[in-house]
This record gives sequence, C-alpha cells and structure tokens, in this order.
Amino acid sequence: MKIYRIWAVIVRHLYNMKHSWDKLSDSFYWPAMDLILWGLTSLYFASQKGSVSNIVMILLTGLIFWQVIWRSQYEITVSLLEELWSRNVVNLFASPLTVDEWLVAVLILGVIKMLVTILFVFLLTWFFYTINLMNSFGFFLLPIFGLLLISGWWIGLIVAGLILRFGTQVQTLAWSGVYLLAPFSAIYYPVSQLPGWAQIISKFVPASYLFEAARTILKTGIIPYDQLGISLFINIGYLLLATIFFKRSFTAAKNVGLAGLDEG
Amino acid sequence: MTEKTVLQVNDLKKYFDKPKLTKAVDGISFSVKQGQIVGVLGPNGAGKTTTIQMLLGVSTPTSGTISYFGKNFTGKETDIKQMINFSSAYANLPFRMTVWENLDIYARIYAVKNRKERIKHLLDSFGVANLAKKRMIQLSAGQKTRVMLAKSFLNWPKIILLDEPTASLDPEIADQVRKFLLNQQKSYQVTILITSHNMKEVEELCDNIIFLHHGKILASGSAKQLLKKFNMGKLKLEDLFLKITRGEYENI
Repeated sequence: MKIYRIWAVIVRHLYNMKHSWDKLSDSFYWPAMDLILWGLTSLYFASQKGSVSNIVMILLTGLIFWQVIWRSQYEITVSLLEELWSRNVVNLFASPLTVDEWLVAVLILGVIKMLVTILFVFLLTWFFYTINLMNSFGFFLLPIFGLLLISGWWIGLIVAGLILRFGTQVQTLAWSGVYLLAPFSAIYYPVSQLPGWAQIISKFVPASYLFEAARTILKTGIIPYDQLGISLFINIGYLLLATIFFKRSFTAAKNVGLAGLDEG
Repeated sequence: MTEKTVLQVNDLKKYFDKPKLTKAVDGISFSVKQGQIVGVLGPNGAGKTTTIQMLLGVSTPTSGTISYFGKNFTGKETDIKQMINFSSAYANLPFRMTVWENLDIYARIYAVKNRKERIKHLLDSFGVANLAKKRMIQLSAGQKTRVMLAKSFLNWPKIILLDEPTASLDPEIADQVRKFLLNQQKSYQVTILITSHNMKEVEELCDNIIFLHHGKILASGSAKQLLKKFNMGKLKLEDLFLKITRGEYENI
C-alpha cells in the first residue's frame, strides 16, 4: 500500500469538490435545515406542560449522531458512484492503484468531511440553542463518534459492494440504504418504544446501543460502558464481514469486467 | 531493435455464462517484442476489447496466462501496471475536473517525477496545451481522445495499450497522433498494442497484425504476409478485413 496513491485519490475528490459547489448542500445545507427544524420543534415541545425533560438535547443529539453515520456511509458509496458516472473505473484500476488503497482513501475522505460537517453543526447548535454537547458528553464524544463512524463504514461497504455487483441501477441505495436501519437504531426514541419483533432486530444494530447510551448519559450523567462495549463488538464484526463482502464484490465485478460498470 | 519479449499471452480464454455461454476470447496465444507496434484487428464482437481489458487487469481471464517482461501478471499486477498504460474509447476522465487536474491525479498515482513538466510536455505534444484549464465536460470528442492519449504516456510506459485511439480524430490530428506514436517508438522503444478499424492506419503503424474472429486468432503476421497468405493479390488490408467480417474465412 503506497501513501502517495492514497493521497492521489483524496486529491482527486478534493479537486472534484472544488468544481461541485452544489455538493456542499450535503455537508452544510441539509444538516443546518434539519438542525433548525428539529431544534425549533423540540423547543416547542419542551415549552409544553408535562414534556419530557431534556427533549431538546435528546433530539439534537440524535440528529447530530445520525449525521455521523449518514455522512461516513455516503462518502464511500458516492465516491464509487462518482467514478462510475464519469466512466473512470477502468482508468483507475488499470493503474497501479489497488482497491485497498482506494478504500483507505475514501474512508479518510469520509472522516475529513464528517469532521467538517460535525464542527459546523456543533457551531450552529451553540449559536441557535446555546447548547454545547461537550458539556454533556465530555471526551466520551470521541469513542461514541468513532463507533458511529464504524457503523457508517460497514453500511457504506455493503452498499458499495451491491453497486459493484449490480451497477448504477441500485445507486439509489447510496441515499436510501442507510434509512433501512434508522427505525431500528432508536435515534430519537428508546428501543422499548419499538414493537417486540423490532426490538429483537435492534439488538443486532450497533447504532441502537449508541443512541441508548447517549440518552442515558444525558439523563443520568452515567457512562454505560456495557452498551458502548456491545456496540464496539458488533460493529467490528460487521465491519470485517462488510469488508469481505466489498472485496468479493470487487472480484465479482472484475470477473464480469470493470468496463461493464463504466457502461452503467 | 532487440528481441526481448515484453508481452506473452498463452491460451487466454474469457467465457461469460450469462445470459448464455459466450466465448468472448477463446484460447489465444501471441507474444509482443520490445519496440514493436502490434495491431489487433477484427470485426465488432471479435474479442479485441475483452482481450485488452484482460491485459489491463480489469477483467479476470477464465483461464490462460499473461506475462509482462517475463513476470506472470497475476500476483505482480501492481508492479507491472506501473510500467504499462492505456487509452480507450470506452473509458473517460472525471468530467467536472479540468484537463490539468485529471492528468495531475494520474501523474500522482504513477509517481511521475517532475509531473508539471511532464504534463506540460504531453499537452504540447498532443496539441491540447490551450485546454489545460478547461473542464473535461467542455471538450469535444477529439479533444478528450487527445487528453486520454496524454494520460497514457504520463508514466513513460514500456508498453501501451490503445483501444481505437484515433477513432474520433479528424484526419490531420489523427496523422499527428500516428507520427507521435512512431516518434515514441523510435525514441525510447515503447511497445504498442493497438486496436483500430482504420486499416490504412494499421498498415502505416504496425509491424505485426493479429486478426481476431469469434474470439480466436484467425491469422497473424505483417500486413504483407497476411495479404499473401489470403491470396489478396493487389487488394488492400481493408478488403481482407471486409472478407473476414463477411464470414468468407469462417472455416480457416
């Protein structure tokens, strides 16, 4: 694995960003709109009698944490789609660039873009609602973000693997695929609110432990290490399986011929 | 010219089993010596592009072996790809980025030294220096082809695979490109494997020609040898190509 080739792929996407100001809406516009709408809605709920305590914090935390998962999976899948749309796949993989190097590059790119988005959302949260998440979570935000990031990675790898196998006809999964897990992730409500069968599924969704942990921290100030541990264990397992699936999908795409992907 | 073998292909096959069994390439063997320009000819569906894709490592052969510089391509792909390059009508470069940015990315991937000078030299050589700041989407088909050709020479490749490189060029520019290729062959003995439907071009450029038909090699040799072999008399390579396309040599 050569660092200069990984850097070349990162530079390729940074160059692309320079000419794609419309894409900044993914990093800034949509998160800002979500934050404003959900923040104001939760402020209204909080002003009603008998409202749930900490409702503003609970909803905004859910929203911001979900952004970490969404952005990290989106970066993997859209980076692949960018190459398909521009018919650049054959150019890339006929060069010395390996699929592992490409993958490392888009994962790094995802972290960079996620950090920029999260920093922006933190500033907005502080500006509009005078809420600083660091006050509630402290440095436990880092492991939580790390685990959310891993969740985004394995989801992104599965979707990217499906795109390699079925081409751009399944490209909509890049935007919609992750939402299949959203109801079971218990982003804005406790797992106990789900029907029984859905609660069983949510046990296998590592993000559900993270959102539950976040609410526990907000309500009690206690760090639920067990929930973070379970999430880490399942996340690592899924990441390994998703990596194997992605690499096998790449091999399958090579068997058919990568030029077929360029042709859509 | 030395007789060092740059590319050796043995019993290469590529079968697709969906939607029905198709033998895209069916047991071809050939070798290419250093500094040679070899033309791969054949009608549509003959297996030219599939062969090139396997030679580039973007399509896995069903069976057979490919060796570059005496090394098996499988297992040494990354090292070998550092020494080869290609240009194809079937690939493109990211359309939002400028010509310069695209070449810069590939120069970085191939670890080209003095990449700015190299890019500038190639843009000049292909007459597209004035397009450096233009986005790919703003270029005509002919301009894109020339940028792709510039990309294919970035890393001083020892062997270059060109899939119909002059297909979308006007006669004047196509002639310039042919002269550039011949110049590169003479100046640093680059080996070139080229597919083309332009028979005049193939006759002008190629030392050796491989005729593919239904995934098999129908014949190979120099243009003169091929015309003699098929008793073409005073007819040209184009006439031979048409006869093959029309199935007049199906049973050879």
